[in-house]
Amino acid sequence: MNWLSGVVAALLRCSSGMLPADRRGWMRALWTEAHEVPAGWRRLAWLLGGLRLTVREATRRRGLVYPLVFTAAAVTTAWSAWPGPPGDSAVAVNRADVITMAVLLAGLPWAIRRVRGPVAGGRPARLLRTGGYAAVLALVLVKAAVERVAGAPPNNFEGPARAWTGEVVFLGVMAGYAALILACSARRSPAAPGTVAIGAATGAALGVVAYVLGPLGFPLRFTGRWPACLYDAALALGALLALCAPALAGLAATRRVDHSRPPVARMRQGAMAGLWTGAAAALVVAVLSTASIALLPYDPGLRDWASSHIGQWTPVVSQWTPIYGPRGYLGYVAGNSAFAAGYLVVLALGPLFGVAMGAWSGWVAGHAGLSGIRPRALKQAQGRLG
Amino acid sequence: MGHRSEFSVQTLAVLAELCATPSQWRHGYGIARDTGLKSGTLYPVLIRLADRGLVEARWEDEQPAGRPRRHLYRLTAEGLAAATVALARAPSPVRAPAAVRGERRRRVAARVTP
Repeated sequence: MNWLSGVVAALLRCSSGMLPADRRGWMRALWTEAHEVPAGWRRLAWLLGGLRLTVREATRRRGLVYPLVFTAAAVTTAWSAWPGPPGDSAVAVNRADVITMAVLLAGLPWAIRRVRGPVAGGRPARLLRTGGYAAVLALVLVKAAVERVAGAPPNNFEGPARAWTGEVVFLGVMAGYAALILACSARRSPAAPGTVAIGAATGAALGVVAYVLGPLGFPLRFTGRWPACLYDAALALGALLALCAPALAGLAATRRVDHSRPPVARMRQGAMAGLWTGAAAALVVAVLSTASIALLPYDPGLRDWASSHIGQWTPVVSQWTPIYGPRGYLGYVAGNSAFAAGYLVVLALGPLFGVAMGAWSGWVAGHAGLSGIRPRALKQAQGRLG
Repeated sequence: MGHRSEFSVQTLAVLAELCATPSQWRHGYGIARDTGLKSGTLYPVLIRLADRGLVEARWEDEQPAGRPRRHLYRLTAEGLAAATVALARAPSPVRAPAAVRGERRRRVAARVTP
């Protein structure tokens, strides 16, 4: 019992640094009082009460809650991605991945703060930052699960050099996503809050649609005539939606800009909305699909479903290779070029396509006189409401 | 219906304990022992009371042999006045620790009883 009390006392002393300066004396007082408490359960209970107080006082300061949640999420991700036999290149890639991502996600806020200021007040900015970080961490987690099987012998037929190259590209792309999330949730955001909301919501919906239409990144196969026709129609509609969504989001964002602002400002909001549409869609579909791929070796039902629904894609089938999971699972998963790299391309090109379409729609709307809140119309509307 | 105090039952217990010997400096474990409050409850109460200027705190001047210096507490003049008023308005004499638990139960029962 005494050793446990000693551990808790040490933890209490270390954690007091999390508290504001005016609270540390109180924690020191509680810690010194522990010497008066009879050893055993009572002393342990006294010290545990101090730990509870530390957490309560630390979280009372709003600024500490998010770093604590991020630390817990990053540690959980690292803990999940870490295991694997030594010498396996996939394990090395995973470990490098989680460490670099944790450092990037922890360090980028400091860098962005210097340029764009601290996080904006209000719930939407916090939601954007928390949701964006959660999505990035989730992607790292599910990607590690895929790599653990697909990148391990004998499935790493592409060799470790290609895996490391892909890893560097992945980290670069993810750094870009994190920077975008942080910049657009900062006080001096390059995009208006409404623009970000329109783009992110449109993109998230588009990502879900893309996932439903092709959960593993490939069109599905249906045997019946009507199901096949319906699916083909849905696929065509989805493709049209994917092409038009960034432009529509850009148009909607442009219409919110004051008419007196120059056309460049309207075009910039359109581009930002398109950028967010592409980025959110790519991130959502990558997380969902990679999570499904990660489940393939462990879920026979999903594997059977995948075999029967994407089996006609001959080039893909030829890339399928037997996998031997870390715990003796036997299944099938596609090669890196078909899956991981495929989503990396989506992650890299989605925002670029979105920004181009959004800027184009903003430019067209601006020059066609479709955009902008007209002050006179606004006054008339206010008059009607009044 | 009795007047609802601005202090919680736990805070009233601490105030009652400090009020018993207002000029005397008390240490945290002594108050916890006499009120039956746990450290995780007592210290937030002391912190809030000190923030409001009702309790003053200081460290022992001399380094005693065999134990670390204690952090000591007592009511300020304002704290003594506030405690006297609050304890007089309290529905029943605040006795700790059983009184604290009993009072909490009574308050909960009063809320649910029509």
